[in-house]
Amino acid sequence: MSALDVTADSGAPASGGAPVSAPPPAISVRHLWHRYGSLDVLRDVSFDVAHGEIFGFIGPNGAGKTTTIRAMATLLEPTAGSVHIDGYDAALDPDEVRKIIGYMPDHAGVYERITVREFLEFFADAYRIPELGVVDAVIELTELAKLSDRLVATLSKGMKQRLQIARTLLHDPKVLVLDEPASDLDPRARIEVRDLLLELRELGKTIFLSSHILTELSDVCTSVGILERGQLVVAGPIGEIAERLAAERGRREPAAPVPPDLAAPLMPPLPAAAEGGAPNFAPEAPPAAVVTPGGAPIPQATRKRLKLRVLGDSQAIVPMLEGGSGVLGVEPGPGGSLSLYYVGGDQYVAEVVRYLVTSGVGLVSVEPERNELERIFLEVTRGDLT
Amino acid sequence: MSAQTGIASIPPPPPSVRGFSRAKVGFARLLADPNPVWMRELKAAARLQRTPVVLAVTTGMMTLLVCSVGGIAAIDAEPAKVGVWLYHTFFSLAFALVAWMGPAMAATGIAAERSGGTWEALELTGLGAPAIARGKFLGALTYVTLYLVMLAPVGALPFLFGGVTALEVVLAFVVLGGVAILSVTFGLAVSSKFSSPALAILVTLLCSIPTSIAAYVGLGVGLSFVANGLWHGVAAGPPVWLPTAYSRAEFGVEYLTLLVLVPLALVALPAWLFHEITVANMAAPSDDRSTRLRIWTLVAAPFMTATCVTCGVAQKDAGWFIAGVVALMATYLFLGFLFAGEPLAPSRRVEARWTRERAGAGRRFLGPGVMRACTLLLLLIVGSFAALLGAAALTLRVASERDGVLALGGYAAAFLVFLAGFAAWTRARSRSSGVPKVLLLGALFLAVVGPWIAMAIAGIFESTERALLIAAPSPLYAFHLRKVIASGGPDADVAALAGSIAAAAWLVIGFGLFALASARIEQRLAAERAVRANLEGSSGQG
Repeated sequence: MSALDVTADSGAPASGGAPVSAPPPAISVRHLWHRYGSLDVLRDVSFDVAHGEIFGFIGPNGAGKTTTIRAMATLLEPTAGSVHIDGYDAALDPDEVRKIIGYMPDHAGVYERITVREFLEFFADAYRIPELGVVDAVIELTELAKLSDRLVATLSKGMKQRLQIARTLLHDPKVLVLDEPASDLDPRARIEVRDLLLELRELGKTIFLSSHILTELSDVCTSVGILERGQLVVAGPIGEIAERLAAERGRREPAAPVPPDLAAPLMPPLPAAAEGGAPNFAPEAPPAAVVTPGGAPIPQATRKRLKLRVLGDSQAIVPMLEGGSGVLGVEPGPGGSLSLYYVGGDQYVAEVVRYLVTSGVGLVSVEPERNELERIFLEVTRGDLT
Repeated sequence: MSAQTGIASIPPPPPSVRGFSRAKVGFARLLADPNPVWMRELKAAARLQRTPVVLAVTTGMMTLLVCSVGGIAAIDAEPAKVGVWLYHTFFSLAFALVAWMGPAMAATGIAAERSGGTWEALELTGLGAPAIARGKFLGALTYVTLYLVMLAPVGALPFLFGGVTALEVVLAFVVLGGVAILSVTFGLAVSSKFSSPALAILVTLLCSIPTSIAAYVGLGVGLSFVANGLWHGVAAGPPVWLPTAYSRAEFGVEYLTLLVLVPLALVALPAWLFHEITVANMAAPSDDRSTRLRIWTLVAAPFMTATCVTCGVAQKDAGWFIAGVVALMATYLFLGFLFAGEPLAPSRRVEARWTRERAGAGRRFLGPGVMRACTLLLLLIVGSFAALLGAAALTLRVASERDGVLALGGYAAAFLVFLAGFAAWTRARSRSSGVPKVLLLGALFLAVVGPWIAMAIAGIFESTERALLIAAPSPLYAFHLRKVIASGGPDADVAALAGSIAAAAWLVIGFGLFALASARIEQRLAAERAVRANLEGSSGQG
């Protein structure tokens, strides 16, 4: 395993080390190897996915994502290692696993010459679902009611994808395994699929989805695993990985000196802060410059951008922010927009917002740049496939 | 509950319900809870706009053809003869339609699921390969039946002219139904092997067109003369003789055997085999793809043996026993090719299932594994030839004829043992399941032809009789051997000695290869286990 691994994996079996009464994780992958001829397409992949999580499986094309997923979906017997779904071995007990997973393959096809309802009714019968109401319930959940009498052939790609997800839900699986669910979809369809996934998570489903679109995953995933050249380089909750990476960097290299402007007091004391005690705005020490394992510099790894929009001229706000602790730069833009480059976490953002509001600035919107997953990905992968 | 039909499911009958009542409940369940794949296929087919057009055009063309033939024939023939002409014309055309269109339509079934990206979703429903194959079969068969129903009014025309009875027309449609079943199952078997529907259709047609022509000429025109010899009411020459034989032949043992049992077996056994091949091809590599095929073998091989023995004993003729030996050789050659693609051993998944279900030794013996398969093949070869040659020894009264048949059968059995051993050995050394089949074909060709080439070269320097001894390793030599022994010529002893040496050599080589294969497979399985243990062990330490 990589030194960056943040999973709970200790090499023990799925239930090893845990109390006997503890339920098994929704998905437990242990030392998974797979060979095609002499080529190792998976090398010692291990991770766990807890119940109710949305786990994003990231990796470049050819990294081994689909092979891992096929092993999870009982479609492939791995050369070595095991995959357990809710405690059942996917290679040895495929019938039980098929009852508890809903699998949507990459570029899954549909039967074109039947209607949406007929499509779902067919799969309901194929799954031997005893109740007729299930099809209606799934149609309602996936908001396909208006399309239920339309031929599948006439649906858009996004709707077909939605239909596929509906199909995977018919037998009420505990775990959904979705291979590239948003590939080839337009932005609207992607948003719809994302919202549907979040809704499904609310219903208690564990969702395992693979993608190479990082922004898509960062919006929905509670945890991620990054696979490269058949090896899992990192896995775990995104925030936790980020913290671990920072700590790792700290261990590897001496901390860079804090720039003088970061050590200075933030800004003119706020009235509220002056009354109730100055809030601690001191940002975290900026991490040292980081390069990928391949040696490539990671752009903006140490600075984040906050996009603001204010009423009136944003130029007027610039002096209020410049020189404050943690502020690396301020760029006013047209239409009251403003980019604030800073070093810090969510707490820092909250304080900046509070400061601006209490200073009487008409704050219209605040949009933190969601690049954490991208930064993690760039940091832990080498970027080559061979 | 079937969501597609909206009908409530009928629960399975309790074990106490038996016999007809159980079958009745089973049929009712079938109606209430039909195969979902079949239902979907029907719904999709109903929306295919070209279906009625194709049906109408086919029927129109067939009507025109039959009317043209009838018109030409009616110029100088009486109506009864015209009726017979029309009967054979119509059902010959209908045979071609069913034999060519049936496989082509079925060929898209499973290949289209693969190419359309719906296969994995279907596979994971838990419906199972047998049920999916059944659904596909029913779908394609329904489609072919639709053609037959459309053509039925045209098929009734001959009856109106006379010369054939209404029953014979109906029986001809029944026979066509049997052809349709065979065609569709064959198409599905091909389809299950391919991911491209176009390629599946092409391969299916390339196989079905020549086969159907050969069947039409051989089983139709050719067998009509044999049938005429047995039952004079059946005309010699016209191809569509079987339906007329049902109504014109005298009822008896021969009727039951040759008109009922044999045709039934000729449809049921290949159709069953094609179905099992389809199911095996649809199953995942880790699943048990062997047991069902093995069960078919356990039924088909004894059935073939029993048929050969029965014919030989009933006719008390060496020719029938020779035909039996040839038929058994063909059967076991086919089985050799079938088993050469077996996996080395059961997968972990199959082993786990056996353990979970407490499978007995018998079930495990019929499971995946090339050594198990070839052992079964050896046992069947020995059993079949022992039965046939035993029957020949007891039945044939002329010593020379009896000895000739025994020599032929003994040699054939020895050569088949070699082939079984060779199949096991090549599979044991090969990583893929296709290579052993190619090697087996090569070995067969070399063994059959090679010695004759050597004999031809030797013939330049030696007398023909002495040179023939060089061809003894070829299995075709067995036929020469039988002839020499049966004729009781002066070279019979020498020929018998050469044949015995060659047969013994095939036996020794066969069993030797079998032993080598066993050792090699053990070695490979141990290496695989070691690799797995190594990977998992090193991972655990890492």
